Amino acid sequence: MTLGFFLVLVAIGFLVGGFGALAGIGGGVVLTPLVAIYYGLPMHQAIGVSLVCVIATSTATSALYVEQHVTDIRLGMLLELATTLGALIAALMARHIDRRTLALMFACFLTYSAFSMVGKAWGSRKREEEAPVTDYQVKNYPLGMAASLVAGAFSGLLGIGGGPIKVPVMYLFMKVPLRVATATSNFMIGVTAATSAIVYWGNGDVNLNIAAPLVAGTFAGSLLAARIKHQVHTFYILILLIAVTGLFAVQMFYKLATGGFR
Amino acid sequence: MKRESAGTDRALARTLKIGAYSAFGCIVVGLALHFAGFGDRVTTIGMIVLLATPVLRIIVAGVQFLREHDIAYVLVSLGVLGIIALAYVLGLHA
Repeated sequence: MTLGFFLVLVAIGFLVGGFGALAGIGGGVVLTPLVAIYYGLPMHQAIGVSLVCVIATSTATSALYVEQHVTDIRLGMLLELATTLGALIAALMARHIDRRTLALMFACFLTYSAFSMVGKAWGSRKREEEAPVTDYQVKNYPLGMAASLVAGAFSGLLGIGGGPIKVPVMYLFMKVPLRVATATSNFMIGVTAATSAIVYWGNGDVNLNIAAPLVAGTFAGSLLAARIKHQVHTFYILILLIAVTGLFAVQMFYKLATGGFR
Repeated sequence: MKRESAGTDRALARTLKIGAYSAFGCIVVGLALHFAGFGDRVTTIGMIVLLATPVLRIIVAGVQFLREHDIAYVLVSLGVLGIIALAYVLGLHA
């Protein structure tokens, strides 16, 4: 590993961790395609690297959310039963899925994420004061568990946090306030990603030379971002992330169509 | 839905912070040692701390639930730990 190579990775980690934490996404959706396309890592390694970065973002930012008393810890831990199980099964299955199929699944998820961020950006056009969290009654536990199982499986298969699946389900169907849903989903991601990261590590798919500088950057970026979150307008960050994920989706589909990712 | 006690939140926030900063510290020192030609041992330790922090967080939460005599959630914590243990057994030693 040369110094220049290393510094570029730290900088990428810093930007993805920072912007990701500001916009409330884990960053896995950006990191996996980035290291797969530009560093030519095989898909399984790209996912392994992304998983450890996702743990870093979740750990750094959830410390702050928990401190602000907006995380529903009991709900999060109950749903973790489902996310970790899904993550474990998917991580064990991923060994037997070939690279091109994984890349295709990822490209589809990337497209979905880009569109879901468009909705999120639309909602954040106006800067609003965050409403205080009022009392709420959690509903629809079975649906929440099912969605968590699916989110965990996506996490273990694609190296992402799974926020775009869990947050809408918690908010719309379990009647959890949006802020609590976001914080709780973020809280669950560390445990979920750790479960599958152990399996990827066991397979030798966590490339230390690439993962370590990225994790260092991600930590620094998300720790800083969590502190300045309230002073930043997320709309423009979301537009940037939509552009980046959209570009990566196009690149991944193009690479797949021209026979890449072997 | 029972809101968390301030004590649980404080204990968990502290666990996550200590984990985050020590993993970050180990990885930064490890990378410096890498360039000084001392190998990757400290970096690997940092990565293990990173992976262990969420596990530690479950244990801390479980102990808090036990103190509050909330046996149902002690069992939930043990369940999540069990699944992670399974990942360790199936993933690392299979």
